[in-house]
Amino acid sequence: MRLIYADNNATTPIAPEVVEAMTPFLTHDFFNPSSMYEPARKTHEAVVRARKAVADFFKVSDPRQFIFTSCATESNNTAIVGVAKAVPGRRQIVTTAVEHPAVLEVCKDLQRQGHPVTFLPVDRDGKLDLRQYIRAIGPETLLVTIMHANNETGVIFPVAELARIAKEIDPAIVFHTDATQSVGKLPIDLEGEFRHVDLLSFSGHKLHTPKGIGALFVRRGTPMRPLLIGGHQEEGRRAGTENVPYIVGLAKALELAAANLDDEATRIRALRDRLEQALEATIPWVQVNGRRAPRLPNTLNISCHFVEGEGMLYQLSAAGICASSGSACTSGSLEPSHVLRALGVPFTAVHGSIRFSFSRYNTEADIDRIIEVFPQVVSNLRRISPYWDAANNTPRPEAIAMLEAASRNGGTAAPARSVDNRP
Amino acid sequence: MAWEYSEKTKQLFMDAVHGKPGTHLGEIENPDGFGEHGSIACGDSMRFTFRVRRHPTDPTKDVITEARYLTFGCTSAIASSEALCTLIEQGGYTPIQALSITNEDIVKFLDGLPQQKIHCSVMGAEALESAVFNWAQKRGVDLESLGVRIHADEEKEGRIVCKCFGLSEPYLRRKIEELNLRTIPEITGATKAGGACMACHHAPGGLQDLLNEVWGASGTRLRVVPKVERQPPPEPAPSPPALSPYQYAKRIEKTIDEIVRPMLAHDGGDVEIIDIKDNLVFCRLEGACAGCASAGQTLKLMVEKTLKDLVDERIRVVQV
Repeated sequence: MRLIYADNNATTPIAPEVVEAMTPFLTHDFFNPSSMYEPARKTHEAVVRARKAVADFFKVSDPRQFIFTSCATESNNTAIVGVAKAVPGRRQIVTTAVEHPAVLEVCKDLQRQGHPVTFLPVDRDGKLDLRQYIRAIGPETLLVTIMHANNETGVIFPVAELARIAKEIDPAIVFHTDATQSVGKLPIDLEGEFRHVDLLSFSGHKLHTPKGIGALFVRRGTPMRPLLIGGHQEEGRRAGTENVPYIVGLAKALELAAANLDDEATRIRALRDRLEQALEATIPWVQVNGRRAPRLPNTLNISCHFVEGEGMLYQLSAAGICASSGSACTSGSLEPSHVLRALGVPFTAVHGSIRFSFSRYNTEADIDRIIEVFPQVVSNLRRISPYWDAANNTPRPEAIAMLEAASRNGGTAAPARSVDNRP
Repeated sequence: MAWEYSEKTKQLFMDAVHGKPGTHLGEIENPDGFGEHGSIACGDSMRFTFRVRRHPTDPTKDVITEARYLTFGCTSAIASSEALCTLIEQGGYTPIQALSITNEDIVKFLDGLPQQKIHCSVMGAEALESAVFNWAQKRGVDLESLGVRIHADEEKEGRIVCKCFGLSEPYLRRKIEELNLRTIPEITGATKAGGACMACHHAPGGLQDLLNEVWGASGTRLRVVPKVERQPPPEPAPSPPALSPYQYAKRIEKTIDEIVRPMLAHDGGDVEIIDIKDNLVFCRLEGACAGCASAGQTLKLMVEKTLKDLVDERIRVVQV
């Protein structure tokens, strides 16, 4: 059975060009870049070249503003905790309710240590309210950390503008963005439109390197203490011997992404849009999450009312299709996705959410196959569902009444709890 | 994490979704017993119905001949429902005898379930109980006088311990005893309680307290450290402005209305005030000005300069 990989926001297939670039450093060129003897020059220079290539991708003139890390989670931890340590005079952090846990949980941890944290809500389209954003920033504000593109819905926040507004209110505020999902998919010019962003995190495995490499952009002059200490590497900002083969692989992956950024985005967007239209046309009671907001071209998050996501994933998997779900049963925490709940996806649909995410290795044939399989998967489960009238292929009247009652009360995904009050 | 289900679980699920003959999918019309458990908000729910062969004189000798389910839930919830119906039909039980089927029987039938999925089997047993309660009402059987304990209405009473999943103290206390749950992760695996916000784990009257009450406080009890109240950081004292904030904002609005708007209107444009915060005025240009390449310049040179001149020289305009 042919495998169709449609979960590229989780991780991506490794590009053969990346493997080829890495291979010498996994075999004969193993030397520690910090060593003094002649052969180590090769690994040292490979790291220097890679850093230059990464900087070129972001149109940054001084490559030393990039430090290599093990993953985006490390980059996010370093940025947030590092700034909090470096600026003891200020306390407040502004972030959003829909961040990746690698940001959200770090902020909650700082909150437990006494930092006031504002979690900005989003509307039903997944968009931020600029007025609330402006009001959240105050004289105590230390750091704003807002993701560029959401991993679950693909919704893009206007990070360049948000950073500029923060700096205009107070130039001392540090602005961090988690760009893990957008790097390689959207153009990011850190000396142009994004010049007010101080810190930017991303990882390699979302753009076709192996897992285990990330990077953090730290603009010159940004106050940040290192998280990993115990070595002079990365100018003391991240101790630990450089992961030479992966660093070289990351640079190669960014070169590949830069070469086809616009063409690939157009092609992948066409694939995604075709799937979206076909599923909406064939399956009743579905909603596309984040559609009215700017979205990544590769992400489709669709909620099917009155079915549960895990059973969908299992059937898709049996048909050779890899996707993911925001359902509680797949999260390990027994709670459905915090992102979809923040968007106010109705409780009848939040468990039935499926995310398809594509990359340059997906084809028209992949889309054809998903269109062939997925509607059947949903109707199989609806036939079993106590909320569905299979004979008429519509929800039962009492299920619709339940949904309407909930929306009248402003209720969405139970349990009804405000995100702001969470400890 | 990939699926860790047994072959049996996977097979039952696939048979059910493909509606294979012999599966128990569906709902009996005018059933003798009707029960529900769970809710869509929690992520799984089940409707369970059965039909009996009625005994002519003694309803307690009714025998269940047919059992059907409709389930909203994950792979294991659907497989558990299938398992429950199969066990009941194969056993030739009376409704009261069927109550002896426990979630452990369901787990055994499925060749095991992962710990975090045990609650799926519990749901089946609860739906069965509620259906038997319904049968007893219809047939005029007094379960209590027969010494049968039914808990169908229990959740409606009693204090809610786990607010995320709406689970009550009597329900959790009974489950802790019945299923011999000794730790909080075991409770969460079996009932979902404490699986979301975790606030009820060590709160007074929470899961740990229930465990202690049921099993006695052993030496392993976690000491709950009293919460230290943190003082919120003091509000920075605002420097007294010459005007009150209201008057200040009013003055800015008035200036924009009377001076700035007419100037922009010449070019077919307009300006919206998004917010005013201290000396910062957040504005958005509209109409012909909105798409203009020099919008930023217009705001700085024209709007900001006008406000500086006429209201306060500290004013800064921020484009939104």
